[in-house]
Amino acid sequence: MQQAMADDKDVLRDVWFGRIPTCFTLYQDEITEREAEPFYLLLPRVSYLPLVTDKVRKHFQKVMKPDDVGEMWFEYEGTPLKWHYPIGLLFDLYASNTTLPWSIFVHFKNFPQQDLLHCPSNSVIEAHFMSSIKEADALKHKGAVVNEMQKKDHKQLWMGLQNDKFDQFWAMNRKLMEYPTEEGGFRYIPFRIYQVTSNRPFIQKLFRPVASDGCPHTLGDLLKEVFPAAIPQNDGQKKYQVMIHGIEPMLETPIQWLSEHLSYPDNFLHISIIPAPSD
Amino acid sequence: MRCTWMRKVSGSAGSADGYMKKTVLGRGKINTPSLDGSCKSEEDVCALGKETQEGAPDGSEWEALDAEWSAAIRYEYHVLYSSSYQTPVLYFRASALDGRPLSLEEMWDNVHPSYRRRLLHSPWDTITQQEHPCLGQPFFVLHPCRTWDFMSPILEAAQNECRKLNYIVSWLSVVGPMVGLEIPLSYATVASKPERTAAR
Repeated sequence: MQQAMADDKDVLRDVWFGRIPTCFTLYQDEITEREAEPFYLLLPRVSYLPLVTDKVRKHFQKVMKPDDVGEMWFEYEGTPLKWHYPIGLLFDLYASNTTLPWSIFVHFKNFPQQDLLHCPSNSVIEAHFMSSIKEADALKHKGAVVNEMQKKDHKQLWMGLQNDKFDQFWAMNRKLMEYPTEEGGFRYIPFRIYQVTSNRPFIQKLFRPVASDGCPHTLGDLLKEVFPAAIPQNDGQKKYQVMIHGIEPMLETPIQWLSEHLSYPDNFLHISIIPAPSD
Repeated sequence: MRCTWMRKVSGSAGSADGYMKKTVLGRGKINTPSLDGSCKSEEDVCALGKETQEGAPDGSEWEALDAEWSAAIRYEYHVLYSSSYQTPVLYFRASALDGRPLSLEEMWDNVHPSYRRRLLHSPWDTITQQEHPCLGQPFFVLHPCRTWDFMSPILEAAQNECRKLNYIVSWLSVVGPMVGLEIPLSYATVASKPERTAAR
């Protein structure tokens, strides 16, 4: 039992400290005064692009005139990257089966207003992050835990993420992961399922972690309900990979456990459905 | 009662997902983008609230104002249901006729001053830019977490007066005008006829 509990805490750390080696290249249309070298950075999977790319902006600003530096935005293979999605989700969704480093283009003009939200300051990221946490708690506890927290507790969650402080973050986040023992789990599981080829940005539905007969629901049960095509058929051919934090959890994994251990700091399980590699 | 709201269904036929959509053409103020393409900072947006407290313009300024406020703006309002919060949510956006979306600052310019003062208290709390859950495009959203605060007295009063209440119409009539969406009185007349028997 002790070993299992120690393993669970390790999972939390492994998720928090996940990194993606990334190469940032200035887009060829940007006007520079001299050649811009690519910039390499290890991106935290659980964070957001504008929160961790100050160094990228500073690096390219050095070779550009101030007038040519508008709001920075990123693009991968022609797709503008939504900064309000966690970095790990973006990578899993668009580039998980490609060779590292992840190659991203950097833009400072022609901001795609129809596709991307603006991000003029860190307080916008904070507002977005807190709004996700509140929505997740609305699903898990009808908002009771978040509402009981004081403003300084909310700040602690944000500062923990912003400053990459695992202990500071989890000291507060563990409250959001509690539930009444007799319930067996949260009220509903906060999750979103993403697929690049879909015409809607994500699938989100109400889903209980425990069935009416008391049996814990699994990841497979969730998919059967919300995305049955992702479940491999009996003929053995796997069409899709179901990926969270760069791994494919077994479909037998209890969804309550996944929610407690593999959620992003915003308390959501962000699940990518990607085509299985055909090797 | 004639209604200009359209029901939009997303996903496959028979899917429960969908939203109500209303498009309105109005007149308002649009910024001509400055030559250097700069955007106003958060401080400037807060300063807008202070401007409205300096009193109405005098007679000679009305003409100039009228010209400034005569750009055609296309407003789009979507009412979606948030299953997470179990309340309706108002998503909205505005664009110039050439399709250019209005910025948050321009949206504020077109909100009535008395509402502006109230909402500007914490702009990032009450109105935020978010991704539309069906369309995936940037919209402005009125946050549902504040919804219960102002709806409960309304619900209570209706119950005490044994009056039927259409929650969505009542909610829209409060939040709509803050962002330029007029709700005709006829909506309320239809929605809240008194019940003959006591409320359940």
